[in-house]
Amino acid sequence: MSGDRGRLAPGQVSGLSRRALLTGAAAALPLVLTACKGVQALGTPPPPAPDVRTLEAAIVAERAMVARYAEAVRQVRSASDTAVVRMLMSIQGEHAEHLAQLQSRLTKPGGASPSASASPSASPAGAAPSLTSVLSGLKTAETAASDRYIAQLDGLPPSLAQLFASIAASEATHVPYLHDARRGR
Amino acid sequence: MTGSPATMAALQTALAAEQAASYGYGIAGAHLRQGSARQAAATTDWTAHLVAAEQLSSMISARGGTPAPAAVAYQLPSPVRTAAEAITLAWTLEDAVARAYLGLVALPELTLRRFGADQVRAAALRAEAWRGTTQAFPGLPPASLRS
Repeated sequence: MSGDRGRLAPGQVSGLSRRALLTGAAAALPLVLTACKGVQALGTPPPPAPDVRTLEAAIVAERAMVARYAEAVRQVRSASDTAVVRMLMSIQGEHAEHLAQLQSRLTKPGGASPSASASPSASPAGAAPSLTSVLSGLKTAETAASDRYIAQLDGLPPSLAQLFASIAASEATHVPYLHDARRGR
Repeated sequence: MTGSPATMAALQTALAAEQAASYGYGIAGAHLRQGSARQAAATTDWTAHLVAAEQLSSMISARGGTPAPAAVAYQLPSPVRTAAEAITLAWTLEDAVARAYLGLVALPELTLRRFGADQVRAAALRAEAWRGTTQAFPGLPPASLRS
């Protein structure tokens, strides 16, 4: 076996020149930095933009409204008022359409959706509210919802602002519709 | 204050819709029974459209523009010969007004955006009174909704 075999000449590392090694290291540096940036991005997700938070809040509120109508239908159905039940179900359907459109504007990683934290609680057993109080509560909720949508227009992208304005208008029309509910319109 | 081309176009579109509605209510009112609640409602709504048209004209002028004058006559969406057709015309006009105001809602200027949204709501409420039913998305064309 030759004593020179495997021995490195000055300036060489395992058959690579120092220049080649440094060039390779320099080329690899951006990759290392990129990798570090990637890990950082995964580690700390940025907070949602203000319009995303507004949209998420609207979704939660709309979902609560759908649940509120479901509860109202249950309460009124027991009173056998079919005309009012039909009307409430019709309005509930529009709220469900609002909810679907709002959700379609929100793309969340992994398909997550805003949690439903505002669902109304069911009335305690034995304390069935009157039809008048059910309808009155719904009218108050619709008015507040309509005003809330318009109050949130600032800073929204144009198409989302238009959707909010249209939903605000729709929910405002539920008030006179509910007002006439007992006339069997 | 000078309005951007997009702002001026949206204001002029809303003004044109209000002028058409004012004209249309004149036709509708003539086919509703004299002294009836319906005719009184038509008069109230006609006045609301005149007031809104004045407001829009002021907004256009304040931004250095010239409000387009109303036409002498407008093509109605369908013939009006009966009270029922007059009622249909009323809510059809309101739907068109709501659609036009959504153009203001798309603008970045918050004052105009809020004004537009308030007017979409007012038009939807008038349409509900004439139609007797509600709509899920007043003013929004179905093509703009996501399936």
